[in-house]
Amino acid sequence: MNNHIVENLKREIENFSLELKVEKVGKVLEVFDGIAKVSGLSDIKSSEMVTFPGGEIGVALNLEEDAVGVIILGDFSKIKEGDEVKATGRILEIPVGDNILGRVVNAIGVPIDGKGVIKGNNPSTSSGLSAYPIEKVAPGVVTRLSVDQPVATGIKVIDAIIPVGRGQRELIIGDRQTGKTALAIDAILNQKGQNMICVYVSIGQKDSKLRKIEARLEEGGAMAYTVIVSAGASEAASLSYIAPYTGVSIAEYFMDKGKDVLIIYDDLSKHAVAYREISLLLRRPPGREAYPGDVFYLHSRLLERACRRNEKYGGGSITAFPIIETQAGDISAYIPTNVISITDGQIFLETDLFYKGIRPAVNVGSSVSRVGGTAQIKAMKKVAGTLKLDLAQFRELEAFAQFGSDLDDNTKRQLERGKRAVEVLKQLQYAPVKTEHQVVTLYALTNGFMDDIALEKIKEFEQGLTDYSERNAKVFYKQIAEKKMWDEKGEEELKKVIQDFKLSFQK
Amino acid sequence: MAGISNNNIARAIYLASKTDSGESFYKKVVHFLAKKRLISKSGDILARLNKIINEEEGRAVAKVSSSRKLDSDLKKELEQKIARRYAMKTANIIENLDERLLGGFKIEVNDEVIDLTLKNKISQLQEYLIKS
Repeated sequence: MNNHIVENLKREIENFSLELKVEKVGKVLEVFDGIAKVSGLSDIKSSEMVTFPGGEIGVALNLEEDAVGVIILGDFSKIKEGDEVKATGRILEIPVGDNILGRVVNAIGVPIDGKGVIKGNNPSTSSGLSAYPIEKVAPGVVTRLSVDQPVATGIKVIDAIIPVGRGQRELIIGDRQTGKTALAIDAILNQKGQNMICVYVSIGQKDSKLRKIEARLEEGGAMAYTVIVSAGASEAASLSYIAPYTGVSIAEYFMDKGKDVLIIYDDLSKHAVAYREISLLLRRPPGREAYPGDVFYLHSRLLERACRRNEKYGGGSITAFPIIETQAGDISAYIPTNVISITDGQIFLETDLFYKGIRPAVNVGSSVSRVGGTAQIKAMKKVAGTLKLDLAQFRELEAFAQFGSDLDDNTKRQLERGKRAVEVLKQLQYAPVKTEHQVVTLYALTNGFMDDIALEKIKEFEQGLTDYSERNAKVFYKQIAEKKMWDEKGEEELKKVIQDFKLSFQK
Repeated sequence: MAGISNNNIARAIYLASKTDSGESFYKKVVHFLAKKRLISKSGDILARLNKIINEEEGRAVAKVSSSRKLDSDLKKELEQKIARRYAMKTANIIENLDERLLGGFKIEVNDEVIDLTLKNKISQLQEYLIKS
């Protein structure tokens, strides 16, 4: 046994080659709140990684005439004045490999789930991981393809009215406790078998919440294709600041392999707050709401890295779901307006709707998807085409209907249809719905099959219909799965199946 | 406008010293520093002034740390090599004895370090073994 260890060590030592290099060094002038001022380091680049004695790493952010402002990623309590700081000549990078799937890592890519080190792709060597820089210029316009493939989120209201395409950036925005994270987690759960890798970046969240999410994903079998990047509330602001960039680097690793990736930033408000803290400590001038001047660039350069690449450049895509938490529904605050203008649409969640029992509490009127329409499958486009308009008319009529009861038949019909549409779009948490089921339900709704079903029985009807139709409308289901659209034969079959089911349901 | 840095002051003193030297000049400098309340920063200004003078006169100052005293031949060779590397006319070596370095030597010029000590080699080996 001992011999074996000695032999191994001997072999390792033989393989060791000494690197002789000229190093640029500096001295720590002061350390405070996760920031170090360092003298020397004359040729350092912005965002370059530096190392402190004891292995802590830092990133140079402020390059001044005779000092460098460095953010410390990790425990800064051990760093003291006079310590030697070494420049590395490299931008901060994280180790990534296929085996990172199913793991929980911190903001610098170190696993924190207690499952040991992340092994390289080649099991015979431990260091087969690729190093990915966390800051990278977003793919240029010639490498991109327009968004035309759908991301099936499994959430009816999103897939039907605010569709999201692969490579899109869709903001989820709303007050606290409106179900923003739930929406994102549901989207991850629905990616099973959809050829999608998911990255969930948790920024400044409570560890208990993260644990809950991990357990939920594990339970739903989603951890097999998911990576969680976490910068917890108890960690330094510098880690919260780099966590989303780490997340997108992991996503880029998989995109470079031609895969489609879904990344969730939960949430960018806390990210902006962490960056504000760092900027103020670095004595950068504060601007509106005390955020620094480059807070727009902070998010725009992150979200620009979401894209769909064309085949010539390797294919693959990164779809981003950034989350923003508003205060009292104020979407005109600084960070929300910034991120709204960067993204390709937003899903707006409202407290009022949430407490009315409309969950997911999506405000269809304020939500929009600017590019997703082209990515929606034909069948869905057909059934959901008028849904948004119907809902908008319903809300208007609903307000009027409160003043009087004497309504004409047409208005009454519209009101009843609207109520049923709202009911159909309600959905329980962790219960994503298959695209085929969504199409069947919405077909039944928009073609008036549900008009004479009692409102409180709609959910029951929907559930029964999806089960029944899956068993009996095989042609229709096959057409949706293969051609993404039905033909006359399929439609006839579905109509008959719905009528049959309705008869048995009403008995 | 950015504030005047210690480096600016040191350079100004250097430039002034070219035209005006002698005892009275140094008095003037001290008066100036006192008037601008910069006496507390005089240590840093002096260090910078030293650096500027060395640069202007083509002199590289190297701190060489070793576990044993350098012999004169090696020292001369080092001086020549350092002067060549930094494209300077001459090189001054400040010797520093440190037994903890175990062997070899370490050259520090400005913020550049060339570490050829045994201690560094061992710690690199340690890092490599931990990683692999």
